[in-house]
Amino acid sequence: MKRKKAVLVIGAGIAGIQASIDLANMGFRVHLVERTPSIGGRMAQLDKTFPTNDCSICILAPKMIECAGHENVNLLTYSEVLEVKGQAGDFRVKVLKKPRYVDVDKCTGCGECVEKCPRRVPNEFNVGLDKRKAIYLPFPQAVPRKMTIDEENCLYLTAREKGRCRLCEQACQAGAIDFEQKEETVTLRVGAIVLATGFDPYDPTPLKEYGYGQLANVITGLEYERLISASGPTGGELRRPSDGKVPDTLAFIQCVGSRDVHHNLYCSSVCCMHATKEAILANEHYPNLKTFIFYTDVRAVGKRFQEYITRARQEYGVAYVRGRPGKITENPETGNPIVWYDETVLTEAEDPVRRATSMEVGLVVLCQALIPHSSHREIAEKLGLKLDEAGFVDIPDRLSHPVDTNVPGVFACGFCQTPQDIPDSVIQASGVAARVAELLSGSL
Amino acid sequence: MEKSADGFKPKILAFCCNWCSYAGADLAGVSRLQMPSDFRVIRVMCSARVSPEWVIKALAGGVDGVMVLGCHIGDCHYISGNHRAKKRFALLKEMLGYLGINPARLYVDWVSASEGARFQQIVTEFVETVKELGPHHGPEG
Amino acid sequence: MEKAHISRSQKLAGDRQIRRQTAGFGNPARANCDLPRIGVFVCHCGNNIGGVVRVPEVVEYARTLPDVAYAEDNMYSCSEEGLSSIKESIVRHKLNRVIVASCTPRTHEPLFKRACEEAGLNKYLFEFVNIREHCSWIHMHAPDEATEKAKALVRMGVAKARYLEPQEEFQSDVYPAALVIGGGVAGMTAALNLANQGFVVHLVEREAELGGLLRGVNKVFPTYEDAGEFLAPLIQQVENHPRITTYLRSEVESVEGFIGHFQVRVTNGHREAEFEVGTVIVATGAQEFKPYGYYGYPMLPNVVTPLELEEMLKKGFEFPRNVVMINCVGARIAERPYCGRFCCTAALKNAVLIKERDPRAKVYILQRDVMAYGEHIERHYRRAMELGVRFIRYSLDRPPEVVGVRQAREVKVFHQLIGKELTLPADLVVLVTPLVPQPDSEKLSRMLKVPRGSEGFFLEAHLKLRPIEFATDGIYLCGSARYPSNIIESVSQAYAASAKAATPMRQGFVQVEAITAFSDEHLCTGCGTCVLVCPFSAIELRVGENGQKSWVNATQCKGCGSCVAACPNGAMQQRGFTDRQVLSMVEALVSS
Repeated sequence: MKRKKAVLVIGAGIAGIQASIDLANMGFRVHLVERTPSIGGRMAQLDKTFPTNDCSICILAPKMIECAGHENVNLLTYSEVLEVKGQAGDFRVKVLKKPRYVDVDKCTGCGECVEKCPRRVPNEFNVGLDKRKAIYLPFPQAVPRKMTIDEENCLYLTAREKGRCRLCEQACQAGAIDFEQKEETVTLRVGAIVLATGFDPYDPTPLKEYGYGQLANVITGLEYERLISASGPTGGELRRPSDGKVPDTLAFIQCVGSRDVHHNLYCSSVCCMHATKEAILANEHYPNLKTFIFYTDVRAVGKRFQEYITRARQEYGVAYVRGRPGKITENPETGNPIVWYDETVLTEAEDPVRRATSMEVGLVVLCQALIPHSSHREIAEKLGLKLDEAGFVDIPDRLSHPVDTNVPGVFACGFCQTPQDIPDSVIQASGVAARVAELLSGSL
Repeated sequence: MEKSADGFKPKILAFCCNWCSYAGADLAGVSRLQMPSDFRVIRVMCSARVSPEWVIKALAGGVDGVMVLGCHIGDCHYISGNHRAKKRFALLKEMLGYLGINPARLYVDWVSASEGARFQQIVTEFVETVKELGPHHGPEG
Repeated sequence: MEKAHISRSQKLAGDRQIRRQTAGFGNPARANCDLPRIGVFVCHCGNNIGGVVRVPEVVEYARTLPDVAYAEDNMYSCSEEGLSSIKESIVRHKLNRVIVASCTPRTHEPLFKRACEEAGLNKYLFEFVNIREHCSWIHMHAPDEATEKAKALVRMGVAKARYLEPQEEFQSDVYPAALVIGGGVAGMTAALNLANQGFVVHLVEREAELGGLLRGVNKVFPTYEDAGEFLAPLIQQVENHPRITTYLRSEVESVEGFIGHFQVRVTNGHREAEFEVGTVIVATGAQEFKPYGYYGYPMLPNVVTPLELEEMLKKGFEFPRNVVMINCVGARIAERPYCGRFCCTAALKNAVLIKERDPRAKVYILQRDVMAYGEHIERHYRRAMELGVRFIRYSLDRPPEVVGVRQAREVKVFHQLIGKELTLPADLVVLVTPLVPQPDSEKLSRMLKVPRGSEGFFLEAHLKLRPIEFATDGIYLCGSARYPSNIIESVSQAYAASAKAATPMRQGFVQVEAITAFSDEHLCTGCGTCVLVCPFSAIELRVGENGQKSWVNATQCKGCGSCVAACPNGAMQQRGFTDRQVLSMVEALVSS
């Protein structure tokens, strides 16, 4: 059986992008399938990355462009995998290309249509903190830079009435709007498949004690990240939801939904560093802001991570308070959240009973658990992949083959197989390329 | 030094590095951030490529202001290029005084690829500064 | 100033380097540099440019510029239509320079360059002028000014275009063999993967056996299989692989050259071996920190390090009843600020092992944060707690005290979470220390001309997005040589390093974008400033007929231009960004 020298990569976050670039550079044809209209994934939503405090999109964008422009990469954005048949060396995959209702050959990404579109819907990229239009570009540096019409919210497409809206069509000079566009199914034959579907933030609403969804000034880590981003809904100003004021104290609660017998047992791996970074960013924007991080263990295990924590403490005055808060209430007059916690670290103790105390702060950020992406289970089923109890891709022989799934010829890298940060995801992505090369070179 | 005359349109040159400041300028454009039109960008791969000689020739030749914009320290695509640029231009700024050129006509700063608004702000402010300094007729004794 | 070292092998390699590949289809020689015939294509981009800038006026203006043989406007230059028009115009008007004034080069430059090539024009005779992001979009309410600016930018582009020269992209061939330094689990994994892909691998190991640190380990986490049994099949595959040559009890003596052609010398004390490789992987691992002076080590015989504990467990000695492990010894302190990453994991591994074998044993782990990150280590942490391992949080400013004269008998520790000082009985005290860099890593770093970070581990090109490569092309890094890593992580990194190394070897060549620096030996005085300034060690001084001159290795050069600006004589220039090209743009700006 001749092994197909083509590879399917599912998911175009940093792991999928890196795997695609490496495989393409090694001479394989890569079909990169991405569910959303643009590649980039979670990293595009970050403002800065720890521990270097590099601007995230600045280091991501060149990789996105390199990937999309590579002659060996066939980019299939706004597409999904329907079906997988076959075996290692020869998989037959059906991919659904969802209709954008925009002709990508004509669209120049100029944005005139977006200006004219009257329909506003919650913006997923900004985690619902602001709105986007029904015709949209997910974020300014999107690749490909082509518009997409969200058919579930487009006024014309939902009604299909003659004369209804179609303002985008009128605005488009290039004639790129095509309401008659149909979905398309393509069949790909590939020798190997790479899963890189990443993660979703865990919804902290079930943790009623923290009041997410009830208390206005309790937000999630990802929401905070978008607020503090220069390209976010407030242009980087930390305006809290209730009154738009910049808080004078900020509290980060770690392990929300992680390391928790009622929610997710595992450690999400990146949140300690993430909170530290966010605290540093807050202090960079607002030097007088006081930041507190409520932690259980400060897990800073990567290269330069420990030094980053020390810097946060010493240079930026970030206070680390050991204790997992029991609940959060609100001061009704000010709208300030009140964090109730135990002072678990005691210096001298005459009284071994822990001191229960509370702290009123301006804004609370819940560093929520990170769980496998919502599309994950469905894809895993189509591929015949085993998942572990937490829902991550099971890796049967992790010690010797850390990126091989239970299905020969199917590999997994990045967060979808275990909680890990960007460098580790990038490493695994390259690792997958090596395994694919080994597989498709004939000898394994 | 002349006061800023009405209608003085300064000629400003901005050297931008491919990876950061040029991309930041692009983002300002994509975001439609409006700014004065008096500046022209010349792209280089790295701020380290910008020769002090260019700056001197530009200022001596009738350009009213020169900007050198690179990546933030630590972010240079070529690792240490911006460090070199920083040192070089710190030195050049001092020398400009000896040459009879107002050092305020040289502006060196760091703009990342995601800082469209910062690019807008920097350019707008520098154009104002140069307008106040007036046209550059050559070394000012 | 150091005298730059020039080697015979480098010179040979440099000569061999130049196998030129002409970039262009059809007639590639369409580059009559004496008489520039410049074509200017100004794009409307629909309304985006055309709605602000008066494009036809800019086209008219372009026609008035000297050396412009042809100018037109396009609705969308990047469309099929626009590109065809450009290609046809090149042929019809015998254009030998092309300017497109439209959006940002960062997206469409490759597209237009390819169009030039297809029309038979060398792609380096193309210049992009940005009149959208840098003009029409930011001066939307000032169309007169925007139009004037567009004209000025086009004038500047034309000025540069006059001085553009055709370039040939160097292709430097890559020898399809790799050197892997270090025969631990990382080195062996990388070697095997490369060999399976079809490459010859030279694996050099300092010790008498392969296996690295794992040879001293008892059971591996998380499977608890015997480390020796885990290693055996890997070692066997490496030793039996027809494409892997293993050098035991050997060290690398010298590595000269650059990606594609590294000349390597290896010695085992008696004999030397010399061979050529295309790529190098550093997998030299790390060593355990020996905490001399800490907590009675090494005087007290029952105070041991983690590897010493592994040794004890391997020998199957009788398990002690009371074990106290002190974490973060010599780690996360001022002199050594980093975290050892997997020491908590190893401590948990053995704590569970001891408790499972003897549930009556008392095992205490004194910690300053338990680094049980991720899914599996956290699970193991819970298991340890379920089995009754006691975790006691202590603080750096109030460290525990090991009490005992001829041997350790107890450990006193201030339990931060209950606020009391406890006295723990101890039959065995384990000082959990981190890995530290190998003693010879400095020597290797100088030999390969690769940097180390402040903690002493090798420093990769970029912490986030290029964790497995060095800034110097062709050399890669994996395992604990980069940073303490557990087995799973070391193996992942080894695969990644293998992928990186395999890429140029599979291609057979490395292609260099022709924006590299080059030196004019008539102007060069051999001062060596450029050599010092280059972040990629791409320049060397060579002694030729006219004395010592700088020579740029175009394969290593990344095109930053640092050397050019540093050169006191103007001898160094950068293709595509020469002084003449840029200064002509400056002049064009000044003139009106």
